[in-house]
Amino acid sequence: MEFLEVIDLKEANFKIPGGKMVKVKLDASSGKIQKVQILGDFFLHPEETILIIEDALSGCPKDEHSIEKIVGQTLTDSSATLIGATASDFSKTIMMAWDAD
Amino acid sequence: MEEFRFIDLETHDAYTNMAIDEAIMQAIKEGNAPPTLRLYRWKPSAVSIGTFQGMRDEVAIDYCKSNGIDYIRRITGGGAVYHDYNGEITYSILMPKKHPLALTDIIDSYKLLCGGIIKALDYLGIKNAEFKPINDVNVGGKKVSGNAMTRRLGCALQHGTVLLNLDVNQMFTILKVPQEKISDKMISDVKERVTSIRDILDRPVEVDELREALARGFSDALQIELNVGKLSKEEQNTAEKLAKEKYSSDEWNFSR
Repeated sequence: MEFLEVIDLKEANFKIPGGKMVKVKLDASSGKIQKVQILGDFFLHPEETILIIEDALSGCPKDEHSIEKIVGQTLTDSSATLIGATASDFSKTIMMAWDAD
Repeated sequence: MEEFRFIDLETHDAYTNMAIDEAIMQAIKEGNAPPTLRLYRWKPSAVSIGTFQGMRDEVAIDYCKSNGIDYIRRITGGGAVYHDYNGEITYSILMPKKHPLALTDIIDSYKLLCGGIIKALDYLGIKNAEFKPINDVNVGGKKVSGNAMTRRLGCALQHGTVLLNLDVNQMFTILKVPQEKISDKMISDVKERVTSIRDILDRPVEVDELREALARGFSDALQIELNVGKLSKEEQNTAEKLAKEKYSSDEWNFSR
C-alpha cells in the first residue's frame, strides 16, 4: 500500500516595523530545513542571490543564529546587497514559520 | 547636460511593457542604446508583483481572470502594484551602471531619481511631496508613487508608478493586503495609506497633464536633455521575443 506523501508547508509573515514584509514558506522535517522559500517586497541586488540563499539553507538545523549566519555569509560571498530587510529578519521569519501550527 | 532618449507616453499590455524595459537594458549593455526615459500605460489594466513575491500570495488571480486584468512578475523587487489604465502613468529610467546619475548607494539613487517625480508633482501644484525611503514618494504621509530598481546587464533601471486616480476598492480587491502590514501602521483603513493626484488636488487631472509634468520634472530635476526617440528595430525584436517567451509565461509569472 502506498502512502500519499503530504508535505506540511509551514508559513509565516513578518512585517518589519516601519518597513517591508518578509514571508517564508518552509518544508522542515527531522529538525532540518528541507526546502525554504523567502518571499516579500524587500530588495536584493543581484536578485538571483535569493535562490543561492534558499539553497544554502537546505539542511540547516532549527537554530536562529545558524540560519542568520548562513544568510549573512551567502550575502557576503555573493557581494549582494539586501535592502529593506536583514539576514536577521530572514532568520526570525523562518523560525516563526517553524513554530507555526 | 546629460542627454537621454525620451520615449513619450505609449500604451502596451503588461508583457510588452516589461519586455521593453529588459530589451532596452540589453541594448544599453551592448552599447546600442542611449540612456532612456520612457513613459507608459497598461492596457488592459494589470497588476505587477515584485520579483521576490508569490503571485498567488499577492494577487486575486480568479478576480483578475474574470475581469480581464493581466498579472505579471517584474524583474525588480518591491511590492505589488495595480496599474489601472485610467489611474496612473508608469515611467522607466535606464542607464549604464557607470552613468553619473546611477549612484552606487541604492537609497541615494532612489532619492535622486524620485526627485523627478517630486518636481513633476510640484509643477502640478503639489508642493509638499517628499521622498520616503526606501522607494516611495509621499504627500501628507500617503504614498502617491512607488518605485523599484534593479542593477543588472551593466545597467541601472528604475521604474515606478505615479497615481492619478485611485479606485481603492478595486485596488484592494485585486491585491491581497496582508493584515500584518495594516496593523503595523495602526491604520485599520487601507485607504489612509495611499493617495492620488486627483485626491490631493481635488480636481480631475488628465493623463496628458501628468505626462507633460513628468517629462519636465525628470528633465529639470536630473538636469537631463530629453531627445524624443523610439525603440530601435533590434530593441523591438528583443521585446517581442521577451514578451512572448518570458513575461507572458506561467513559468516566469508563477515562479514564486
